[in-house]
Amino acid sequence: MRGLPRLARILAAGAAALVLLSLAPRFLERGALNDIWNLAFAVVLASSWNLLGGFAGQVSIGYSAFLGIGAYTTALLALAGWEPYLTLPVGAALAAAFSVAVGLPAFRLRGPYFTIATIGVSEAVRVFAAGVQFTGGSSGLRMPAGSFDFGTNYLAMTALAVFVVGLSAWIKGSAFGLALAAIRQDIDAAEAVGVPATRYKLAAHALSAALVAAAGSLFAINFQYIAPGSVFDFRLSLSIVLMPIVGGVGTVAGPVLGAALWSTLQIKMLSIPALRDSYLFLYGGLLIVVMLFEPKGLVGLVKRLVRAAGAGRPREARRAA
Amino acid sequence: MPPDVLLSVRGLTKRYEGLVALQGVDFDVARGEIFGIIGPNGAGKTTLFSCLTGAVRPTAGEIRLHGERIDGLPPWKIVERGLVRTHQIVRPFREMTVEENVLVGAHFGSVRHRGAEARRAAREVLERAGLYGRERALAGTLTIGESKRLEIARALATRPRVLCLDEVMGGLNPSEIREAMTAVRAIRDAGVTVLLIEHHVHAVIGLSDRVLVLDFGRRIAEGTPSAVVRAPEVVRAYLGLEIDAR
Repeated sequence: MRGLPRLARILAAGAAALVLLSLAPRFLERGALNDIWNLAFAVVLASSWNLLGGFAGQVSIGYSAFLGIGAYTTALLALAGWEPYLTLPVGAALAAAFSVAVGLPAFRLRGPYFTIATIGVSEAVRVFAAGVQFTGGSSGLRMPAGSFDFGTNYLAMTALAVFVVGLSAWIKGSAFGLALAAIRQDIDAAEAVGVPATRYKLAAHALSAALVAAAGSLFAINFQYIAPGSVFDFRLSLSIVLMPIVGGVGTVAGPVLGAALWSTLQIKMLSIPALRDSYLFLYGGLLIVVMLFEPKGLVGLVKRLVRAAGAGRPREARRAA
Repeated sequence: MPPDVLLSVRGLTKRYEGLVALQGVDFDVARGEIFGIIGPNGAGKTTLFSCLTGAVRPTAGEIRLHGERIDGLPPWKIVERGLVRTHQIVRPFREMTVEENVLVGAHFGSVRHRGAEARRAAREVLERAGLYGRERALAGTLTIGESKRLEIARALATRPRVLCLDEVMGGLNPSEIREAMTAVRAIRDAGVTVLLIEHHVHAVIGLSDRVLVLDFGRRIAEGTPSAVVRAPEVVRAYLGLEIDAR
């Protein structure tokens, strides 16, 4: 594998993952497939957010806005007679356009000020969706009655997840990824050696917004019903930030690990009525622990354990290895 | 006026509220020159660099690189046109390796290298900066001398026509200063025009073809090093003390 160029390795790993995931329905129960769907959904959200929040260090707590734009675009167009899956590019394009409209003023702000602005924008979008007629107001929208096939949605969501992770891996090693890392570490120094920082922040924002919107479209198709409280929820925006941070912000594997943890916790907690809302509480606690003891998240912890194991081995064994 | 002007500055003024940092500064830099800029603390040297590189928008005046206006352009576009700076306090991307730092410059300079070509360009610059062999080290772990070389290497990787060096000799010992002077000459000999802000007056005098002296944001003298150090305004600006050749 090592001899292959980076892109070939990513494509090979992605193809292998796709084959495994598409074979899973032959062997697994619907319940397990639902869990995989939830995981894939979480992976798309976390890894997409990580493109801007992790690679470029621009922490936005407003990503539910993009999820909602995707979901509502799909529901509204489906109600107008569109084939639901054909609405994905439209929702993605709208979310990307909205991300640029928000980013142009918001990226003039730095650090926490940018973050606060994103909270304000996403809340404004939620209030708007709940307040106007064409979105069905706070009671939301039901997709048109029709034959819904979970199998198709499962394949689409898992394929999207594999695509987003593959894209992250490719970007991380590209000139674009290097520029984002430079922006994260010292935006003035980055501009001083020629990195068009604002343009690249807008590009990362638009790309991640489009991917999250696509996940929102698939969410609407899967659940057949959306409301401002489900897709524009602030807690969802928060979860999208928590996953990559707990997993390992700015890495490729981190958001996937964080998503796995989050989707598992969420499923377990939702099944216990008394704990229904406390998974975020638990996750918040985890966030504090991570920030205090391992700012590089689960990925950092694993690396540290591997190093410790390596150092603990007897000298002969290490020399042999 | 020197022939073959590469960088031309006219009436450059920068006012902050209640403070004039630069007041109508004029000068020309010829292709292939080493052009020194000296002046007491607060004379406006660093503000001048910030205006040249687009980090700060001038209040008035014109800056032309190769005849084209560059004042008011964002910093990355000025780098694209071929003018780049280093920072007085070095600003490496600490979580990147030395090679990755230089690759950022190679990818986004006036010549946009890609892939293997960028790595070749980075390697060439690292060799010239004496950092080859350290390319896998994290930039945050370098010594101060290495960090300064990296700062220059990263700027050179953008393939500039004009390199603005902001106090590169600060904090170096005498033998390191001699090395740095040799390095600056080598950069010029490789075809890059050099602007040099330096506290270390002797280094500027020793290196520069011409020197501009600023005081309170105004040009008080300009000319060859030997003429400039004898100008009465310059002697007065430096606390009335003669600049001794230590």
